[in-house]
Amino acid sequence: MPPPEESERPRPLIPANPMLQSALMKQTLRHDQLSCRLQVDGVPDVSAGQAADAVGIITGWRLQWVGRPELEGEREHLLALMEVVLPYARHLISGVGRRFGGEERPVQIEPDSGGGHRLELRSRQSGNPSLVVQLDDAELADLVRVLDDLRLDPRLQLSLALPQPLPLRQRELAERLPLQRRLAAPVGGLAALAAAACLALILPPPPAPAPTPSAPAAAVKR
Amino acid sequence: MTQASSPAHLGHPLPRRGLERLDLLLLSLEALDLNGGEAMVWMSEQLGFSELFPNRVELWKRRCHNPLRRACRRGPISAIETDALIRILCQMADRLYPMLRTLLSTSEAPELLAQRWQLFQDRLAELIRERMNPRRSGVQQLLDPAMGAAERRQMVRSLSLAAGEGGFERLRASLLDAAA
Repeated sequence: MPPPEESERPRPLIPANPMLQSALMKQTLRHDQLSCRLQVDGVPDVSAGQAADAVGIITGWRLQWVGRPELEGEREHLLALMEVVLPYARHLISGVGRRFGGEERPVQIEPDSGGGHRLELRSRQSGNPSLVVQLDDAELADLVRVLDDLRLDPRLQLSLALPQPLPLRQRELAERLPLQRRLAAPVGGLAALAAAACLALILPPPPAPAPTPSAPAAAVKR
Repeated sequence: MTQASSPAHLGHPLPRRGLERLDLLLLSLEALDLNGGEAMVWMSEQLGFSELFPNRVELWKRRCHNPLRRACRRGPISAIETDALIRILCQMADRLYPMLRTLLSTSEAPELLAQRWQLFQDRLAELIRERMNPRRSGVQQLLDPAMGAAERRQMVRSLSLAAGEGGFERLRASLLDAAA
């Protein structure tokens, strides 16, 4: 039997070239909210036996905002974003607004003096200015929702080492009150104590008690 | 937030302040949704809590553990029951998320936004007067149009950040906060 023509030969479903394989298996996870869209590109980790529609290796991500510059980066940047935004949201539910992410971290979020939230993203490359995004409460909630949707997406088969939300301690909750109000009680107490001490110094001392008649009698007996 | 590790605070019953906040958040959802009471019962059935809360009375009895209620129920409430209430709250907040978002957005027209907040405030005040003990200072503060504004905004913001499946752990941890 003669060999079949080139066009008649059955083609393999998965090409032998690994580069082409990964290109064909590329997956995109997209999560939308009204003001933002998070898109994560990746491929399944074939060595871990993941399904073809899973994402085990993140190759890139994009966060698109309405009327704002698009953010993009690698897996580390996405994790850094989640590591600061989700705990920040957790604290806000308890009414505590504090900064998350320090100067050395690529992402930082803190309450804005104008009433919103200030998200700052720093580039690793020196000379590149950091990008600051001002968010209102609704936009922050949208961002938290897309990050939640992503981390709970069953197709994302990647262990995210994110901090567990924990109850706040009394000391952390005290940050809800401004410093002036927190200091009001102890400062007031100290002022009252100082005023009482001054008043006690001004008052004349009581007269010395007169000697009792029994004292000389006791001396005579000796 | 990792799904694998089991947090140490799981299984702890909510403290008094947590029960207060949980019931007030549920009340806020009722203020946003005119049919909120019915929706809560329906959501409980949808989430498979029919055994815990077989009818609306049982659901109402659990909410009455709030110390601010007029008819406050004493005794412990189990962590399973409070978890179920938190799940119902998160799913309802998810359903009402567009309304919550509208209240929080600064891109809305200020007049329209003020009207929406006023409507929310009026409905919430009505529900609070109906169900809460007016002699409690916390209730009086919530009813005060000026003093309660920050607290009402905080409740709406908390609901928006706790909406959906992902909000459950955040809200639960927050309700277990230490007494301030």
